[in-house]
Amino acid sequence: MAAEYGALLTPTSSGRRFKANLVVVLAVAATAIALVPLASVFLFLITRAVGVLGPDFLLQDPPGDLSAAGGGIRNAIAGTLEMTALATLIAAPLGILIAIFDTEVGGRLATGTRFFIDVMVALPSIVIGIFVYSLIVVAQGHFSGFAGSVALAAIMLPVIVVSTEEMLRLIPRPISEGARALGLSRWRTYASVFLPTAVSGIFTGLLLAVSRAIGETAPLLFTALGNNFFSTDMNEPMQGLPLLIYRNALNSAFPAARDRAMGAALVLVLIVLAFNLLGRWLVSRRKPGRSTGR
Amino acid sequence: MAVRISSKAGQGGPAAGSFARRHLLNGDIVFRLVVAASAALTIGLIGLMVFDSVQAAWPAFQTFGLGFVTGIRWSPSFTIYGALPFIYGTLLTSVIALLLAVPIAVLIALLVTEFLPPQIGRPVAIVVDLLAAVPSVVWGLWGLLVLVPFIRPIEHGVADGPGRLIPFLGPPTPGPSYFVAGVVVAVMIIPIVAALTREVFATTPRLQREAVLALGGTRWDVIRRVVLPIGRTGLLAAVLLGLGRAIGETIAVTMVIGNAPKIGGSIFSPGFTLASVIANEFNEATEPLHAESLVGLGVVLLVIAIVINGAGVAVRRRFERSAGRGR
Repeated sequence: MAAEYGALLTPTSSGRRFKANLVVVLAVAATAIALVPLASVFLFLITRAVGVLGPDFLLQDPPGDLSAAGGGIRNAIAGTLEMTALATLIAAPLGILIAIFDTEVGGRLATGTRFFIDVMVALPSIVIGIFVYSLIVVAQGHFSGFAGSVALAAIMLPVIVVSTEEMLRLIPRPISEGARALGLSRWRTYASVFLPTAVSGIFTGLLLAVSRAIGETAPLLFTALGNNFFSTDMNEPMQGLPLLIYRNALNSAFPAARDRAMGAALVLVLIVLAFNLLGRWLVSRRKPGRSTGR
Repeated sequence: MAVRISSKAGQGGPAAGSFARRHLLNGDIVFRLVVAASAALTIGLIGLMVFDSVQAAWPAFQTFGLGFVTGIRWSPSFTIYGALPFIYGTLLTSVIALLLAVPIAVLIALLVTEFLPPQIGRPVAIVVDLLAAVPSVVWGLWGLLVLVPFIRPIEHGVADGPGRLIPFLGPPTPGPSYFVAGVVVAVMIIPIVAALTREVFATTPRLQREAVLALGGTRWDVIRRVVLPIGRTGLLAAVLLGLGRAIGETIAVTMVIGNAPKIGGSIFSPGFTLASVIANEFNEATEPLHAESLVGLGVVLLVIAIVINGAGVAVRRRFERSAGRGR
């Protein structure tokens, strides 16, 4: 666009030209300021956490005492992956079905669910933690990885619904009409035509939802609780990377706890970025030339 | 979509019975039931959770009445629970975050949509979006170990210098504070507000931009006369949704706000937000009324979040409708 408008840009007074230039300078400065924390956080993690990383750090469990040196974060990595996987298994089918409900059934009911989903996007994650605590932890009588998964699923659900709905709405009309012309029933249309057409977009939404859920701490505090040993039992309290970082950071007066928090933070950021960038890469491949949404 | 073409037109008659049988046989009724059930199940479950939480918090509301929201004292050892210090902390940190984040985010959106060609603008937008990919707990760790040591001398300089004369800027300055929490939250909501604002600016009708340029206007004239006035509603929605996110931010805030259950007289005082006091005390709350009061804080936070985000969503819908008409 810049080239087309170039010839038209002949400001009449120097004052206006000055203002126009000032805004550009301010905009560049603002962007630079916003990127300082990003650069700082990566520099901080790279310079101070890389030394902590090593095979032992990834493959051993932490010592029971936060202040003690040694050990690793294996249990937290495993716990995070287990809980996120179960959360995905809960949230993905539900989210996709709700999106289908909204596009297929429509009307007043769908407006209702859509508003509800909009509100759900906004639920503070700590409130989700309290909700799941009241519903599951209190009922079961103990903290569990399962409760943590449900809390993470509640975070993922609205993201999945919104992205799936968007993808279903983007399906070209001729495809939808073609399915009708073939006499396909509605469920067949979704199962064999719409969902396969939209699959890459839906998958992208899933990846972004996962990358959001993996980094969440607040919903796990009163649900998964955390522990110090390796566990695959979803019925027991379970450790997650964010929980481990949080607890060790609060004790960062101990060098061992501080190092453990920083090393785990680097691992967490790398995992989140992997999911996030994979999702974005799929987005950019799917619709070239269009700006990527968040 | 309004015209429903019967899937097997020409085979059977239009009788209602055969219609139902046909749809039952091809599974559409089951299909509709399944999707409707999943929507109903989710809404029902969330509704149940809200109900459970309100019920769990009820004793606190009953004991203190309206005083639960207006009480300025939170003291578990005296079993007195007033939420005002946390409501104050939540609003103060969110306002600080908005004051810092909104101008920066709007300028970023302007740079990306108005000043940079798309080939450069898109990568810039993606890098800004990466701010949102860094987990809350990592921002908290960074805030604790990098930002607090960096800001403490600045807080000190301001508080002991001009701050002595200006309200809300005075000492003491222990380091962790409302202000640091506001800065961290600002960093976290910049990408959100910037992305929403970018979408708003991108919908500005091209004809009106070109009209201003044709009259000899500068890019600034385009922004001032066209982009900002047309995007006003959308901008408001972006600010409201950013505020909604700021209010619920938990872990990063808990790590840098200093955790003091009182109304600090300065923005450099340590304090608490609704979310951070829940995160900090819930696992240690052995006394029933303490736990009930913390759930009560969650209900208060929920109400504030729903009001602000509901407003944000409603305003955004309105903007989308008007933008759709404009084109």
